Amino acid sequence: MPPLVAVSRGIPARPSDADRTVGTTWSDAPCPVLVADRDGGLVRMNGAARTLLPGAVDGEPLDQRVPTWLSDAHHQVSQGEHAPADAPHAGSIDDRFFAAHPTPGADGEVVWWLVEETDRRLARALDDAQGRSRILTEVSSTLLSTLNVGRCMDTAAAMAAEHLAEAAVLVAPPQGRRYPLTHAQRGGRVSHVTRRIDVAAVPGLAEALQGFPPVPARWINPDDLPDWAVPDGFAGPVNSVIVTPLPGHGVPAGALILLRSSTEQAFTEGEEAFARLFAARAGAALSAARLYSEQTRITETLMQELLPPTLTSVHGVDFAGGYRAAKEQDRVGGDFYDVHPAAHPSQETLVVLGDVAGKGLDAAVLTGKIRNTLHALLPLADDHERLLNLLNGALLTSRHTRFATLVLASVLRRGGKVHLRLTSAGHLPPLIVRNDGTVEEVATRGTLVGALPTVTATTVRTVLAPGETCVLFTDGITEARGGPLGDDLFGDHRLRRALSPCAGMPAEAVVERVQMLASEWVGAGRHDDMAAVAISAPRTGRLTVVNGQVGRQEGRRNR
Amino acid sequence: MTDLHSDEFVLTVLRDPLTLTVRVSGELDYDTSDDLLRAVVAHLTEPCGFRDVRLDFRDLRYIDSTGLSALLMIHRRTSAAGVLLHLDHRPDFLERMLTMTNVLDHLTAPGHREEAAEAAAQDDDATGAGVP
Repeated sequence: MPPLVAVSRGIPARPSDADRTVGTTWSDAPCPVLVADRDGGLVRMNGAARTLLPGAVDGEPLDQRVPTWLSDAHHQVSQGEHAPADAPHAGSIDDRFFAAHPTPGADGEVVWWLVEETDRRLARALDDAQGRSRILTEVSSTLLSTLNVGRCMDTAAAMAAEHLAEAAVLVAPPQGRRYPLTHAQRGGRVSHVTRRIDVAAVPGLAEALQGFPPVPARWINPDDLPDWAVPDGFAGPVNSVIVTPLPGHGVPAGALILLRSSTEQAFTEGEEAFARLFAARAGAALSAARLYSEQTRITETLMQELLPPTLTSVHGVDFAGGYRAAKEQDRVGGDFYDVHPAAHPSQETLVVLGDVAGKGLDAAVLTGKIRNTLHALLPLADDHERLLNLLNGALLTSRHTRFATLVLASVLRRGGKVHLRLTSAGHLPPLIVRNDGTVEEVATRGTLVGALPTVTATTVRTVLAPGETCVLFTDGITEARGGPLGDDLFGDHRLRRALSPCAGMPAEAVVERVQMLASEWVGAGRHDDMAAVAISAPRTGRLTVVNGQVGRQEGRRNR
Repeated sequence: MTDLHSDEFVLTVLRDPLTLTVRVSGELDYDTSDDLLRAVVAHLTEPCGFRDVRLDFRDLRYIDSTGLSALLMIHRRTSAAGVLLHLDHRPDFLERMLTMTNVLDHLTAPGHREEAAEAAAQDDDATGAGVP
């Protein structure tokens, strides 16, 4: 910024021979010049000074005309004190900034040369601002590039120690009663400790951890700092302290304690303000990292709970299930299935497959609720429609119309055949693969559950001969988009065609075939959850199949 | 179907003194359903004077379960307001979905104010008690 800086550089800071020329040339000086006597009376001033202090009259007391900093400076100089070379008298007059250089005049008078530094100040402020915004950008880009909370805290503390202070202590929100602390020193290493601390021992820390604005640095007595607030090996006594909150998304992400030793300048108000800006960036990054890891943890926990069960043979009936979750990271599955085995072979086993509207946490919560409720309602499974109405009542709420569609299958093997009662509640009807390769749609229809006051549903009874399979599936399979053009639905007809050769196959093979074909169809594209359950009546004489002896009904098998 | 704009979600709202018509174009899904719900509800909350709300689906391209969920909520709100809901120009896929889930009759039946109250009565807590 050359034009800004150049203005004041050329003016001599301390005209050494002013005393000899005073009275002749000082009045022509371009900078304001005041002459004041020993008693603080204004003696004379030049034109520039008159412009600066309009209305000032020769002879009146200096302190009535000029700001206190200048009249105080005059008092000091008259007493023979001199300002140190590195901190000359300076201050503002109106909204301009001046350095005041005294030279002795005749009769103990002091000649004050006022050198304007407004532009230089502005330039320096601009330099500072540029440097700071560079630091802030660096903070944001460095911190936001990691979503790991631990590493985020390391980086924030290290950068604070590097750019703001000599040492920094980052206090994270407590885990139970203990606080994770991250210590960093300029040029030193970063260390962690999680310990019980008394946050009240550092003034303003308890407030900062709750997200209240920081207390000014000058309110904190460095001598009172507890040990844990000062990193090990910190050089010298602490001289200056800032405590600032790390504001997060709605909740505080912790607090930052910044320390300087006595060898450095105390924190200025400008630096405190900058520390708050830094803290805002760091807090945003930290809370993003924390939210992310929290969400990952919740997803993992829910997935554990919602993971479909491994299905096997129950009371002489083969069950198999397959589930492929949607690829999007934010999804906990909206599809689910369960098999509730009967206590005794003479009783029905209940199979449920369903799909919850929506996605993410909301869907996961509803899925869990449905599975638990159905489990509790098992004794009432002899009447599917009643069961669905009880479930519907348990799910109904005025807050939303999030619903589920599902299929119930009550399964009982009697004399080699499998008897089925199938009920759809707003779900895609099950398909049955007969031994002759035909694929039948089961004509059950019913209302979705969870949104309407009552539910109606028709239950269809059917029987599977050995080798026949009933397939329950979700629309993730029929609505899988892909194919040669990439945007066709897998569709009902392709699913039927895929199932037709499955007569006689074990349940597990049927599910695998459906999953495989749908996945191939989708390719690398996006897809929704895909779930399928197969219920098969096992062939009698299965061992002969394994031995390669083609049995009575093996003609259609093509695997 | 190669028209790039045909899939874009657009709501066109027409008001006349007795009828609110909302034309729904594009895909009504997880990302857009809330917009439709808000658009309709915004017109119902003021003392509306509408006798009918017509949702026009002639340019609907796709609907998923969240879209259906929004229709169910809209019906709940129109019923509570004593307004009749119409689902006009339903494409085949919408018809199939409404039939399969058995909600077509419910959605197009003359509104009865009891529905919302019934849903509220099922709530575990009392927060739904204020529903008219």
